[in-house]
Amino acid sequence: MNTVWSYLIAFAVWPGLLFAAPLGWLELWFMRKLVARLQGRRGPPFFQPFFDFMKLLGKQTVIPRGVSRGIFLALPLVSVGAVTAALAIVPLPGNPVPSLPGDVVLLLYLMEVPVLCEVLAGYVSRSIYGQVAAMREALLSLAYNLPFLVAIIAMAQEAGSFRMSALQAAPYGIVHLLAGVTFLLALPARMKLNPFSIANAEHEIVADSHIEYSGPPLALFKLSHAVELVLLTELFAVVFIPATPWPLVNLLVYLAAGILVLGGVTLLATATARLRLAQAFRFYWVWGGIASAVTMAATLVR
Amino acid sequence: MPYSFPLGPYHPALEEPFKVKVQCRGEVIDSATVEVGFSFRGIELLAQKRNWVEVITLIERVCGICSNTHAMTFCMAAETIAGIEIPKRAAHIRTIIAELERLHSHLLWAGVGAEDIGFHSLFMEVFSLRELVMDTLEAISGNRVNYGMNCIGGVHRDIPDPMRYLPALDALSKGLAEIVIPTFTENPTALARTRGVGRLSREQAVEWAVVGPVARASGLDIDVRKDQPYLSYAALGFESVTRPEGDVLARVVVRALEMVESIRLIREALLSLPAGPLRATEGLPEIPVGEATIRTEAPRGEAFYYVASEGGATPARVKIRTPSFVNIPAIEAMVTGQPLADLSIIQASVDPCISCTDR
Repeated sequence: MNTVWSYLIAFAVWPGLLFAAPLGWLELWFMRKLVARLQGRRGPPFFQPFFDFMKLLGKQTVIPRGVSRGIFLALPLVSVGAVTAALAIVPLPGNPVPSLPGDVVLLLYLMEVPVLCEVLAGYVSRSIYGQVAAMREALLSLAYNLPFLVAIIAMAQEAGSFRMSALQAAPYGIVHLLAGVTFLLALPARMKLNPFSIANAEHEIVADSHIEYSGPPLALFKLSHAVELVLLTELFAVVFIPATPWPLVNLLVYLAAGILVLGGVTLLATATARLRLAQAFRFYWVWGGIASAVTMAATLVR
Repeated sequence: MPYSFPLGPYHPALEEPFKVKVQCRGEVIDSATVEVGFSFRGIELLAQKRNWVEVITLIERVCGICSNTHAMTFCMAAETIAGIEIPKRAAHIRTIIAELERLHSHLLWAGVGAEDIGFHSLFMEVFSLRELVMDTLEAISGNRVNYGMNCIGGVHRDIPDPMRYLPALDALSKGLAEIVIPTFTENPTALARTRGVGRLSREQAVEWAVVGPVARASGLDIDVRKDQPYLSYAALGFESVTRPEGDVLARVVVRALEMVESIRLIREALLSLPAGPLRATEGLPEIPVGEATIRTEAPRGEAFYYVASEGGATPARVKIRTPSFVNIPAIEAMVTGQPLADLSIIQASVDPCISCTDR
């Protein structure tokens, strides 16, 4: 198959948009349903995240006065594009994209783009709430990226390569366990869940950095978040769950691991209050820092 | 760069319209100004244009949460002017309703407070407990918001089977002791958002003249139920709750322990409900020339009523000072120097009732 076609298929079909969007909605529904059941509520129907998306698509787009139309509309598109492209690099079973040297670096870069888009979306909104959200988002990303990046870099060090397929095939060891825990530590903040949801604290700043977004652009940001959930959970599964020789079994194990991880972070989110920015920052630089140091030390000791 | 950040008048953290406008530097609040009056209704003036019975209905709508307190205090003022002493059974029933109302007000506050620190699960737990109180109030009075229990000279409705309400009180005690209080005082993330936050020292509490749970959480032991017992509080042996710390956590704890005390009072009152009539007078009341000032302890603190009569069909003057009216300005002192993220929970910790304030 032509390389260009394989990239296009990976981006648009599997593991890209066509499969990632429904999977993201499924994961969103699972989280919302789990939270609801834990809180003694009924929770949303199965198709609710999809309904939300479709409803937003049909709504009017309002662009605040004095905001550049181009950048305002480009940000959600770039966000969805980047996060889907990142997912297309993840070596899920059946992914047609060939493994490239250094694709881990590309993946990490692409994963930062949605965060950057959110920060910019907050700053261009000309709303004080959006700007405070953007500031919080930017500062928080400095905090959670410490354990997040260290977890992936430690795995690259362990595998001796910055190739995703090498990370996936690395022989299972103690570094997997330590780096996996470090990765999980960063996950709630990356997913903007409690106790690290200060950037979307609706009771302080009304909404997150998309406060001025409406209609299809907001739907795209929501879609970007759904695909990001899939990306984060599947990245965890691919890198930290030992692979079997059977692709279909791998796929099922990865999906199950993704749901399990989501269940874990959802449990944490329901059992906690929202920490302040400084507290979240301190948590990541102290506990995330310690976990990072231990993980890196383990890769060197080997 | 300093910037100004408006919380309100319409904001998810507020149930009612008021505005706290803060000047921030980074995430830290430099100064704050509080604005009220977005839903002013002129109830004091309207009260001079309605007869003594209609005014009770009007006054009950001063507040949607402590509605009973207002109607009850007004009736107590009219009774004082007319020299009416209400029957013991009526006093007990008024006490029960007042304490049930305090329970539902404090539970509502606890839920809102949980929501303001981003603790949605706790909000759900608290509001499911609050339903028990609302159901009890509905079973007694037939209403969930404005109970319509008070009339000049006594109460409208009886509690014919007091034992019926004890299981709900037991369930409530259990829920408070096992879920709400431990979560607020032991969950590390909840403590991180409340301990040492929005401090109001004892001196500041005196200076800003705060009342109710806010004052008691700053170490001021003032409670009308203890200082000037009315209704059945002296007979039931009320004990006030104070904490010296003056932070949001102290306000949480004071309200939580007050709920426990309220449950005890309600249970005692239900068990010792004296026999007798519900009203001291029959027919429409005649209020002679005179004036009265009455203080009662509303859920948010001291409610003060001055009622004057010129012997006519309507009151000559009804002056209402609600507890929120004196507590709200103290928000300015509490939020200065605090992180912006704590603005919501600090303003909520005062339990500002804007309906009361904009009476």
